[in-house]
Amino acid sequence: MLSTTFAALLPDRLPWYLAGPALGLLVVGFFLVTNQPLGASGAYVETYKTVTRKPGAASWRMFYFIGIPIGGFVGVMLKDDGFVRRAGYDALRNELPLGVTALIVLVGAVVMGYGARMAGGCTSGHGICGTAQRSPASWVATCTFMGAAVLMTLFIRIVSGGAI
Amino acid sequence: MKTSTAYRVLGLLFGAGFGFVLAAANLHEYDTIHNMLRLEEFDVFLLMGAAIGTSLPLLWWLEKRKTKTALADTLTLSRSKPTRQHVVGGALFGIGWAVSGTCPAPALVMLVSGAGLAVITIVGLFLGLNLRDRQVARLAGTATAADGEHRNLARVS
Repeated sequence: MLSTTFAALLPDRLPWYLAGPALGLLVVGFFLVTNQPLGASGAYVETYKTVTRKPGAASWRMFYFIGIPIGGFVGVMLKDDGFVRRAGYDALRNELPLGVTALIVLVGAVVMGYGARMAGGCTSGHGICGTAQRSPASWVATCTFMGAAVLMTLFIRIVSGGAI
Repeated sequence: MKTSTAYRVLGLLFGAGFGFVLAAANLHEYDTIHNMLRLEEFDVFLLMGAAIGTSLPLLWWLEKRKTKTALADTLTLSRSKPTRQHVVGGALFGIGWAVSGTCPAPALVMLVSGAGLAVITIVGLFLGLNLRDRQVARLAGTATAADGEHRNLARVS
C-alpha cells in the first residue's frame, strides 16, 4: 500500500514558518507566470460556469479547482495517518446527531459561499492574494471575516455551553 | 504549447501545490480551524501572516520594476477601495467559516483526506456562490470588486 510505503515522510503538521512562506511563494510564482491571483472561491465559480458552458468562463480555473484535491491527497498520503474514511466534524458529531451536524454544516457552507461571492474572495483570494497586493478592499474583507469568525466561534461556544 | 493549454497545466500544478501545503499544514482539519478561531492556537494566524509577509514585499518589488510575466503582460496588482459589500460579504463569510470549520480550498482537501461530510460543505459552497451570482444577475449593474479573483486582463487593457 502506498500509505504504508510513504507514510510519515511529512510531519503530522508542517510548521507555520514553512507552510506560510510556501503558500506566499506559490502566489508570487503564479503572478510571475500568468499575472493572476490564486483565489479558491473564484475557482469554484469558474468551475460551475465551465461545466454549465457559460460564455466567458475561465476554464483554466477549473483545473486549479481539480489540482487542489490532487495535491491535497498526495500530502495526506505522505503523513502517518494517511487517508482515513470517516464522517469528519468529530467535534460537532460528539454533541449532535449526524443529520443535525450535516444540516448545520450545509447552512454554514451556503452562508460562507454567499458571503465569499459578495465580498469578491475568500481566505485565499482576499486573505492572501488580495492583502499581498496591498488592496485596501482585501484588508477590510480579511479583517472583517477574521473578526466575524472569532465572534461566531465564541457565540457557538456560549450556546453549546463550552462543548463545541 | 497553446496559451490556453499552458494556463490549464499551470492551474493544475499550482492547485496541486496549494492543496499539498494545505494538507501538510493540517489546514483541512476542522479542529485546526476551530482551535484557531477559539483563539487557542495561533499557528494559522502566524501561517497567514507568514504567507502575506513573503508575498507582499516580493509582489511590491516585482510591480515596481515592471516585471514582464511569462504568459501575460507586465505584472500588475489591483487595489480596490473597500465597499459595503466587502464588509457585509466578509462578515457572512466569517460566520459560515466558523460554523463549517473550513473554507473553499481546504474543504476539497478535507474530502480527499476521507471525511465524507466535506461533500456537504462543497455542495453548500457551490449553492451559496451560485445564489449570490443569480442575485447579482437580477440586480444587474452592482458588480463585485474582486481583487483576489480572476481578472479578464485582455478586456482591462
